[in-house]
Amino acid sequence: MSESFSIKLNGQAVEAFPGETVFQVADRTEVKIPSLCHDDRLAPVGACRVCLVEVAGQRRLQPGCAWVVTPDMEITTESDRIEKHRTVLYNLYMADHELDDSGLPIETANGNQLRDLCKTVPTMGLEPVNAPRAARPADDNPYIHFEPDLCILCARCTRYCDEVEAVNAITLSNRGGETTIATAGQRSLIDTTCELCGGCIDTCPTGALIEKKAPANLVQLGGTESVRSTCNFCGVGCQLDLHVHDDKIVKVTSPEPGETLNDGNLCVKGRFAYDFVHHADRITEPLIRGKDGLLHPATWEEAISATAEGLMKVRDQHGADALGFVSSSRCTGEENYLMQKLSRAAFRTNNIHQCAAT
Amino acid sequence: MFGAGAMTNAIDEIRDSEMMFVIGSNTTEAHPIIAMEMKRARQRGAKLVVADPRKIWLAEMADVHLQLKPGTDVWLLSALANVIISEGLHDQAFVDKHTKGFDAISAKVKNYTPEEAEKITGVSAEDIRTVARMYATTKHAGIYYTLGITEHTHGTDNVYCLANLVLMTGHLGVRAAGMNPLRGQNNVQGANDAGATPVYYPGYQKVTDAAVREKFEAAWGVPLSPNEGLNLNVMMKEMAKGNVKALYVMGEDIVISEPNVSQVEAGLNQCEFVVCQEIFHNETTRFADVVLPGACFAEKDGVFTNSDRRVQRVRKAVDPPGRARADWEILCDVARACGYPMPNYVNASDVFDEYASLTPKIAGISYGRLEKNVAGLQWPCPTPDHPGTPTLHLDGPMIGKAEFQAVDYRPSAELPDNDYPLILSTGRTLYHYNSGTQTRRDAGPVAKQRGNFIEISKRDAKIYGLEHGDRVKVSSRRGEVEAEAWVSPRVRFGCIWMPMHFAESRANLLTNDAGDSVTGTGEYKVCAVAIEKVTSETAEEALELAGH
Repeated sequence: MSESFSIKLNGQAVEAFPGETVFQVADRTEVKIPSLCHDDRLAPVGACRVCLVEVAGQRRLQPGCAWVVTPDMEITTESDRIEKHRTVLYNLYMADHELDDSGLPIETANGNQLRDLCKTVPTMGLEPVNAPRAARPADDNPYIHFEPDLCILCARCTRYCDEVEAVNAITLSNRGGETTIATAGQRSLIDTTCELCGGCIDTCPTGALIEKKAPANLVQLGGTESVRSTCNFCGVGCQLDLHVHDDKIVKVTSPEPGETLNDGNLCVKGRFAYDFVHHADRITEPLIRGKDGLLHPATWEEAISATAEGLMKVRDQHGADALGFVSSSRCTGEENYLMQKLSRAAFRTNNIHQCAAT
Repeated sequence: MFGAGAMTNAIDEIRDSEMMFVIGSNTTEAHPIIAMEMKRARQRGAKLVVADPRKIWLAEMADVHLQLKPGTDVWLLSALANVIISEGLHDQAFVDKHTKGFDAISAKVKNYTPEEAEKITGVSAEDIRTVARMYATTKHAGIYYTLGITEHTHGTDNVYCLANLVLMTGHLGVRAAGMNPLRGQNNVQGANDAGATPVYYPGYQKVTDAAVREKFEAAWGVPLSPNEGLNLNVMMKEMAKGNVKALYVMGEDIVISEPNVSQVEAGLNQCEFVVCQEIFHNETTRFADVVLPGACFAEKDGVFTNSDRRVQRVRKAVDPPGRARADWEILCDVARACGYPMPNYVNASDVFDEYASLTPKIAGISYGRLEKNVAGLQWPCPTPDHPGTPTLHLDGPMIGKAEFQAVDYRPSAELPDNDYPLILSTGRTLYHYNSGTQTRRDAGPVAKQRGNFIEISKRDAKIYGLEHGDRVKVSSRRGEVEAEAWVSPRVRFGCIWMPMHFAESRANLLTNDAGDSVTGTGEYKVCAVAIEKVTSETAEEALELAGH
């Protein structure tokens, strides 16, 4: 990396590198700067104006997400001027958004960071703007719902769709107060280039994009327990947080960007294709084929001894190499270890394989 | 040539690439999150070259798309080597220090000129020269490949050709470079690592090595077989011949996933005993004498090892349904019932510890360390204080000098003729997974892709009188299936493509089970087929015949 230099952040000397933004420098310190439109995976745009900071020598406040530091620059992130700016800004957002009885922006099961910010400033009671916001009239895709009343037009979803997933299925559309998030011709996501990765849901800061599968009243139901695991589809090895309620998976999310190899991203299978886990077609009891040619429920003891007898009979009559063991690249390392141990140690044959080439 | 089959470099290095050479990998569909890293590199200005018979999405954003004829990879790759050597673009210092056999490979590729290659592969000599120069002169240039390389009767030769390119240009032991097979399933890497192969104990220790065998005999307390076992492809053929008489299948629908499945079905029919350990009934459980209900990934503890050798935890989030049980517990009970004293493992961690203690590559990994390392640990990781190895060969090839492998082009086992005039390639789509038992139970994938289809070029569609959406019968020497015709600009004239996910219309009734001589991998990517439009009358006849 190029040579570092020093800047002053809230009066403290901190190390910075050429080309870094205020956010990148602050990330290595205790200084927290609020933001709505920024996502480390995306190029900064400075759209939401929440992260404005004071830069010595600059007449106007500047966005910390996009402002590139230079040697000896002095940055202030908390001051009366910034506080005043935030109060007016959040109140303008409130005037332009649907509020609940407490006077704060409404929220969905995915939370609303704007609502959290609004709690930090006094209410000015501005007149509602009541600008019309177009929704997609009938989007019957099974996973992704857009709630225009919660949208702040920060464009994280459309930029994610462009810069990370690169399918450009959604875009900002219209002008002024009528600006909204749209597909081409307001078609259902199913009929666009959308690959249903759900990254737009993940990056949305206000809960305007929500998943249709998760119960809307999760918070009231007592929330979920989250279990970190590894995706069971392809060989990338994305990390998942399985959100569990009442012994059922109700939602899957990625760990935070930067934390694991998938960098906050998931595909349609990893994020959404978990219905199979609790599907009624799952095999729930051991089965043994009877003389009638049909499979019949059995106890575990019966099924295990039938398995052992069947394998041992063939070994005794035809030798161990008349047995074949097909292990699974879908199962765990431990299970593959045990399957080859069963084949090799219990039956003394190396006829053990799995779909190795795939 | 320089180690076990695994990515030499880490996935998160891709974003720092200067060039990516993607061959035989439809990355955006089969490995979407790796494709996101590639897209990110592309947006930062990295060059992208895609070699694929189909105009896949990555090909559309590539600097150069080498749209070769299926099965001509050895010609294409040898011609790239030809240009690199004849123009003196190879890395002489790396070749001298780390390799042997350079003279032999130089002599071998001499005849594989770009002009001759153009005639065989359909890729222009100019494009071959452009890509060879680009690859040889870019430092952070990585090769990424998948089953489009390996699922051929000359799959091993294809891999050798790629490795030759990596070695002659010194793209080894460099960040964001190397040779990177992207593994198709969550734990292919881990299943191979754990010894679920007929030739290796865990950790790629040979079953024919007496010293290794003694180590495992001591650890497991029984004498072990000194003979290599049957790979899956051969095992299926031996079963059809009646030599394999009992099969224990865990978590795999072989009647969908193996090539030439009617042979597999015939074999299963004559088997004396078949056990399936499964989470859903599938095509294979129809043949089972005993079905043992296992647990899916969310219902048990363990580890998966991904494409870049990263060992990561799988954690139990919910209980298995009904009386289903974790598969590792079932396997222990079966072993004990067969008279083998499997130790009393209290949990999956105990099993892992035994596995790791016998496997030097992962000996330093434990559940305790995986709790602390949220991004996983990449093998080799031989000791508890070893940080793991994101990039292989940073200090040169692993053992001694890597040897170039000079190979000659061999045509695919079955080529088109008058009876079967088209080449069929098969593969995966973004929305479904393998035999579809999981993804076909979710609304999104089903809404995007309801049933089986073929991609066919506009020109072929015209010849066969097909419109987009018409029903079509596809037949090979081994079987026939029906699918929907998708007239697509993605495929070459004379070639069609079909996904493998649909049980009611199985691509693998058509595919050729001719296997690679080293790996036994079937030739899923090239077989000869004929197609015929299904008219409403023929459809009605078929229904009548089926007794409806």
